[in-house]
Amino acid sequence: MDRLTDTLKALIQPLLAIVVGLIIGAIAILIVGGDIVETYTELWRGAFGSFYFTMNTFARATPIILVGLGVALAFRAGFFNMGSEGQMVLGALSAALTALYIPGPGFVKMIAAILAGMIAAGLWSALAGWLDSRFGMNLLITTLLLNYIATLFTGYMVTYPFKDRTGSALQAQTEMIDSSVMFTKLFKGMTVHSGFIIAIVLTILLHLYIKYTSKGYEIRMMGGNPLFASYGGVNRGKLMVLSMFASGAFAGLAGASEVLGTSYRFLDGSLVSANFAWSGIMATLLANSHPIGTAVTSVLLAALQTGGMGMERNTDVPSEISSIIQAVLILFISARITISFIKRKKAGAKDGSAT
Amino acid sequence: MGQLLDVSLFAATLRMVAPILLAALGGAICARVGLFNVGLEGLILVGAFSAILGNYLTGSIAVAILFSIVITLVFSLLFAYMSINLQANVIVVGIALNFLAIGLTTFSLRAIFDVKGAYYDKDMKGLPKLDIPLIEDIPWLGDVISGQSILVYAAILIVIVLQIFLYKTVSGFRLLAAGENPVAARSLGLHVKSIQYAAVLICGALCGLAGAQLSLGNVIMFTEGMTNGRGFIALVATMLGQSNPIGVAGASLLFGFMEAISYRLQNFSIPSHFTSMLPFIVTIVAMIFFRNSGYKDEAKKSSGSSR
Repeated sequence: MDRLTDTLKALIQPLLAIVVGLIIGAIAILIVGGDIVETYTELWRGAFGSFYFTMNTFARATPIILVGLGVALAFRAGFFNMGSEGQMVLGALSAALTALYIPGPGFVKMIAAILAGMIAAGLWSALAGWLDSRFGMNLLITTLLLNYIATLFTGYMVTYPFKDRTGSALQAQTEMIDSSVMFTKLFKGMTVHSGFIIAIVLTILLHLYIKYTSKGYEIRMMGGNPLFASYGGVNRGKLMVLSMFASGAFAGLAGASEVLGTSYRFLDGSLVSANFAWSGIMATLLANSHPIGTAVTSVLLAALQTGGMGMERNTDVPSEISSIIQAVLILFISARITISFIKRKKAGAKDGSAT
Repeated sequence: MGQLLDVSLFAATLRMVAPILLAALGGAICARVGLFNVGLEGLILVGAFSAILGNYLTGSIAVAILFSIVITLVFSLLFAYMSINLQANVIVVGIALNFLAIGLTTFSLRAIFDVKGAYYDKDMKGLPKLDIPLIEDIPWLGDVISGQSILVYAAILIVIVLQIFLYKTVSGFRLLAAGENPVAARSLGLHVKSIQYAAVLICGALCGLAGAQLSLGNVIMFTEGMTNGRGFIALVATMLGQSNPIGVAGASLLFGFMEAISYRLQNFSIPSHFTSMLPFIVTIVAMIFFRNSGYKDEAKKSSGSSR
């Protein structure tokens, strides 16, 4: 019973935030002279109006969920991993290059590409963890700065050495991967691909892992009370490098699944401008680092984004309304964490973890 | 080498330093009262946008600067309220503020200027350049120091003013005390909360100026996310300078120089990807060598006082 109310609580609070976000969004709609009901109807239609649009939303949610899970893992351990964007593009590039240049049957190439993406991103992320544990360099700042380096590096790779010179030479992108390596589409003619299934399965696995394994307990303990954790014999440095590796690997998987399932090549800037990584971080913050909650909020953010595009097609209201609503959500969240903290304090801190 | 390190490079350095320095000083003031402000990036972005907006609406530079200060002040009030009154985790509030800044500026860019990505008007005037008499006539120095935008000089002036304020005035000591040991400060009858508010507001005003220099000084335009990591670099400058105005100025000078060099290197046949990476790499490397051992305690203190 307790568990049920806990799960419900994890879901109710983000929903409340969304209501507030929609109210502020309504004000923004009024400012640009739109009709609130019509605009929100179009927003809904763009996100869930038909089976096609719903699947489209799920396709967009796929990388957001994966990034979000990785960030949730790091946040749970108390590490502010803000480097998902860099990790994701590195993962995507590694996956694309592996898929292009490794010989072998399609399935082997696909697995190799996924692993390459996860390992490259994981190492990049673990580097930040190592720098923190070894040199005491603030993880939050290094991960932020490493984003820029990774994005520029991948940009260089597809502008010079691995540029696609077969087709139009204008775009900085790799060649297209072989069709045998591509993820299968779940439904014919729809954008959603098997990456979505992977994301959902991983959501449940991560939830169980954090909740029921001893490593998961160490992670929660480190995030809840670092001093207690080190007293209990948890090696902070080791846990930091490992959980940052895992966290980055999730972001790398997100990049790989975008390459193998949607774009079929690495196109410079496409992942960054779609804002997948930051949406993932937002989803995690919204769900208070709860894996299942993260998946739900990821779908909601994806819906806001795809709905915003649909809304822009059919009304005069710019799709940027979505970014306003998202920003309000996130602000509401930082206040909400506070409220839950005060509550916890009042309850005598009986539960140290950030559930 | 002579081609690389010429006069205009050093002049460009001063231009690049100004936004980083102004924001880093703001960050330093916040750090001094125990608030680690990750929201600098967002504050600068808001400042940059409001400066362009003020200029667009009134055509006056003075009003544009005022605009950017006032709007960033409102923004930093939000930060202050959340982190001081609601006792929220300062880092989460800072991150949220960055999201809010990006969301609001892209939306306003669309709603007010009806453009996507960037706003540019060739008739718009930038910050006035100041020629300093006497110095202007010194051969090399004159070309570097004279003829910069007024905010560059303002930044240098603010460093000196802050240094004196923090270490020579009573209110400066009170500010330091409020951050050093809030409980002791409170027992002396200091109103720690209002001191923290004041610090956050000073930080907001400085970030507004930083934004104005960015969008009206370095270039005359606004592009989405034009801060491009400068807020985070400023944060590192704050840490390296140990939140001491002159130290912060030194660190900002290093990063501004790297930025100027990265633009300059584009003229050589080096891919722009690598030249743009330079400031970030140098920033990370600097974090290793100039590790601030007291920083961890500071972070502990800040999370302690915020909770």
